[in-house]
Amino acid sequence: MKKIVVLLSSLIFFSTGINAETLRILAEAGDESTLTRAAAQFEAANPGVTIDASYLGWDDFMATIKLKLADNNPPDLAHGNQGFTVDGTLVQNGLIISLEKYADQYGWEDLFADGALAEFMWSDDGSTWGSGSLFGVSPVAEDVIVFYNKSKLDALGLSVPNSFEDFENALAVSKEAGELPIILGGADGWPIIHVWGIIDGAFVDPNHTRGWIFNPKNFEFNTPSRMDAAKKLADMAAAGYFGSDSLGIGYDDANAMFINGEGVFNLTGTWMTAQLDEGMGDNVGAFAMPTSGGSSVAGGGSFALGWHISSKASNPDLAAKFLAHLMSNDFVDDLMEVGRVPAQAPTIAPTSNLQAEVIASSNALVGANAKTFYTDWATPGMYDVVTQELQKLIGGAASAEDFISAMAAESLN
Amino acid sequence: MSNKNIYRPQSKFQYSSYLYIIPAFVFYILFVLFPLGDTLYTSFTEWNGISEKKWVGLQQYIDNLNNKKITSSIVHSFILIIFYSFLPIVIGLIIAGIMIRVKIYGLTFYRAILFLPQILSMIVVGVSWRWIYAPKGPLNVGLDYFGLENVSRAWLGSFDYALPAVGFIGTWVMFGFAMILFIAGVQKIPTELYDAAKVDGAGAISEFFNVTLPNLRGEIIVALIFTVTLALRNFDLIWITTGGGPGTSTMIPSMFIYKKAFQQGQVGSASSLGIILTLLIFTLVSLILISLRERK
Repeated sequence: MKKIVVLLSSLIFFSTGINAETLRILAEAGDESTLTRAAAQFEAANPGVTIDASYLGWDDFMATIKLKLADNNPPDLAHGNQGFTVDGTLVQNGLIISLEKYADQYGWEDLFADGALAEFMWSDDGSTWGSGSLFGVSPVAEDVIVFYNKSKLDALGLSVPNSFEDFENALAVSKEAGELPIILGGADGWPIIHVWGIIDGAFVDPNHTRGWIFNPKNFEFNTPSRMDAAKKLADMAAAGYFGSDSLGIGYDDANAMFINGEGVFNLTGTWMTAQLDEGMGDNVGAFAMPTSGGSSVAGGGSFALGWHISSKASNPDLAAKFLAHLMSNDFVDDLMEVGRVPAQAPTIAPTSNLQAEVIASSNALVGANAKTFYTDWATPGMYDVVTQELQKLIGGAASAEDFISAMAAESLN
Repeated sequence: MSNKNIYRPQSKFQYSSYLYIIPAFVFYILFVLFPLGDTLYTSFTEWNGISEKKWVGLQQYIDNLNNKKITSSIVHSFILIIFYSFLPIVIGLIIAGIMIRVKIYGLTFYRAILFLPQILSMIVVGVSWRWIYAPKGPLNVGLDYFGLENVSRAWLGSFDYALPAVGFIGTWVMFGFAMILFIAGVQKIPTELYDAAKVDGAGAISEFFNVTLPNLRGEIIVALIFTVTLALRNFDLIWITTGGGPGTSTMIPSMFIYKKAFQQGQVGSASSLGIILTLLIFTLVSLILISLRERK
């Protein structure tokens, strides 16, 4: 009996061992439901392939990803993070490979408008960003848009604004009526980057902003239109449009408060769609912020974290094949179903009113080529500078001029 | 008096005695001395954590000390010493002083309750106090209830009050430690001293300053070293409650070390700041030991 068991188990072991191949993936935890679905589909379509995915929460992931990829036994496929701090360092040290070959093979660049993938492009030595070879790719879009409480907007006799001036008027009317115009979780710092991205985009040419993010040393940060944006944000804070406690409220709390009926507008990312949908149902809507004058739309945003193939991957072709599955047209609807916003147009109908409005907003931003990424991408130290300076600006501890000069100084670092 | 002229029998040195400390010493080298040496070396290099280290000498020390945000964060640390060290020791002494004079029923119970903050994880403490200080948290609700709407505010989001607010959490955490240390210390003071003080007509205050306080010198030194060190190397509590904000109003050096090393890929610069902080703590602890040691 014992012998039979040994024989059988070794048979099973070797039969799977011969063709078996394992693809090891390290992902930021936000992608768990997406990857679980993709892995099951990929394993079913490719017998013998096992996907071994592990996840780390944002802080742990960002603190360790470079070391994990520098390890002698790194994951085959991993997330990075746009900018010099993570992606740039990975390229500079030869830890990830160029995806040009696979982009041609699977037609990734044809999926999007020209230059849309620039945030994943680097010179081969990793010294310049925004052009060169493609080192990463992602099927998910993340846009910073405006969510609003529908019944409150109706009760105030307002409609979705057609220009930034319209939006300002809506804020004034809300405040006058005793409502909190904008809910903001400013204690965490980074949510203010999203608010800033939208207001900045309402005044500044998005090409200039993207040029500055890719190359902050050679693009002037301090322009007259940007000064207008900074002054506008300072004025909005001084007028009490963010309430008096916004710097004492965290991001999660702010969203919970919005769901519970506090705040008319919530300027945040499309990653909140599923949660707001669940919490507010038909009472929440979304739009892309119109620019000053209303001729275009404005918003931060980018692709979600990019996928990279390790230069030590045992089978990079297999890793690319899995990426091709994530990027494929077939997977777009799956992304919708797990509550993410696909970067390509979906074929199935949106599952809710909010999802329809979010996708329309996202399309408007993509159509106007208006997505301006995130301010903190510009330099490794920019995250700290921009969050601290925006907190000061919102809290009245610094002027628009102080903000602009601190940002211009960090641009040269 | 020096006693080096006193005759001592020359015993043969037992080299085998070293064997006993080898296990501990190996651990000490591996986990303390080696990392310290490596950090010291790294602090003179520019290093992003994965590439080759590039020797830059003292440059990063100069850059860090010229960085106004970093020097002001050191000032914040010194302000925190008041909350983490001075206040807990004063409160601990007062409680210990009261416990000598007054017979309290259920003393063990109160002692345990007052000591409780000390054994809680700093993360738990941070999350709890974030809630207490929240704009609609218990503190503000309480203030509003007593008609103090002008006083209530988003404590951790205020440029003026965030630092004292996180400091006060430190006081709450540390005073239990100081208190237990002093109560234990008081119990070893010979009761004859108190009797003598009473005979001399000393009241409670005079008894405290002439008997209790001088006899607690050792405990006060221990409490000072422990709490001052904690104030300077504190990280988790502030990271959880304010993350250094709003602006830079609660930034402390350890937070720059973390950000540089793990978020900005400047491990060399983080190491140099780590060495600066270590030297600062070392200097302060030495000053405490030198100025408070018993003079014979």
